[in-house]
Amino acid sequence: MLALARFFILGFLVLTVVYVSLSLYSRAVRRDKLEAKWDEHPEGDRDAFVQAGLKEYDHSLRRKLILGVYVVPMVLIGIIVYLTNFH
Amino acid sequence: MVYVKWVFITLFWAVVAAFLHYTLPQTDIARVIDTYERRVDFGENSWFWSGADTGEATTGANRDVFFIQTRRANGSVMDYRNEDTGWGWPPYFKFDTSNLQAEAADLRSTSESPRWVAIKHYGWRNEFISIYPNAISIRAVDGPDVTIIPWLNIVILTTLFGTIWAIWVRWRRFRENRLDPLFERIGDRIAGVR
Repeated sequence: MLALARFFILGFLVLTVVYVSLSLYSRAVRRDKLEAKWDEHPEGDRDAFVQAGLKEYDHSLRRKLILGVYVVPMVLIGIIVYLTNFH
Repeated sequence: MVYVKWVFITLFWAVVAAFLHYTLPQTDIARVIDTYERRVDFGENSWFWSGADTGEATTGANRDVFFIQTRRANGSVMDYRNEDTGWGWPPYFKFDTSNLQAEAADLRSTSESPRWVAIKHYGWRNEFISIYPNAISIRAVDGPDVTIIPWLNIVILTTLFGTIWAIWVRWRRFRENRLDPLFERIGDRIAGVR
């Protein structure tokens, strides 16, 4: 059981690093896009426009999809365990 | 100096290639001659044995390991070990060692009436340090010259190099847009102070 615990803790740590990096990167990309969009049609306050866009992004499905970083490996492991041992 | 750089780059990719060659699955067409188990005392080669923690004690200095003796379709002999990998590396999550040994024993055949099997395995055989590839699965095939397309390896390698490329491109873009101007500004400021 110790091996299983070690595997899950290590996996969780690695995936958390990936999750945090990917979240930060995705938000930065969104910010760049919003800034580019405002620069095309300058209208009102630039910061307010970007902040509103980011607030919308924080509640979007796209952001929640990054949780797939945890889900996809879990599903893969399940499939591999099944195929290796019980197929 | 340019040679030193290239030696390091070549060495790095050689290590990556060796690692992938050891870890990724390969399939051999072979004929099972016999299955047996013997005690193995691990020494300097203990890296190449799995010793998975799958319910049994892992503290012993030696243990019995299952082996599968085969003759491959190309005429050479190959000895596979048959060990659990458990929750460890490489991530095959293999727990069915005893079952696999039973299947291998069931598929035994003689050279007079051969029954060909495909053995999926990872690892290397090296006589000098007594290491053996680890068998993952075994199944009967029609003949010695069936073609097996390594779909899994194609998918894994494509994904791996795709990911490395994606990160590399983004890193280069980041360096060009953010780091290079920063270093230039610092350089200008130092030049200005002088």
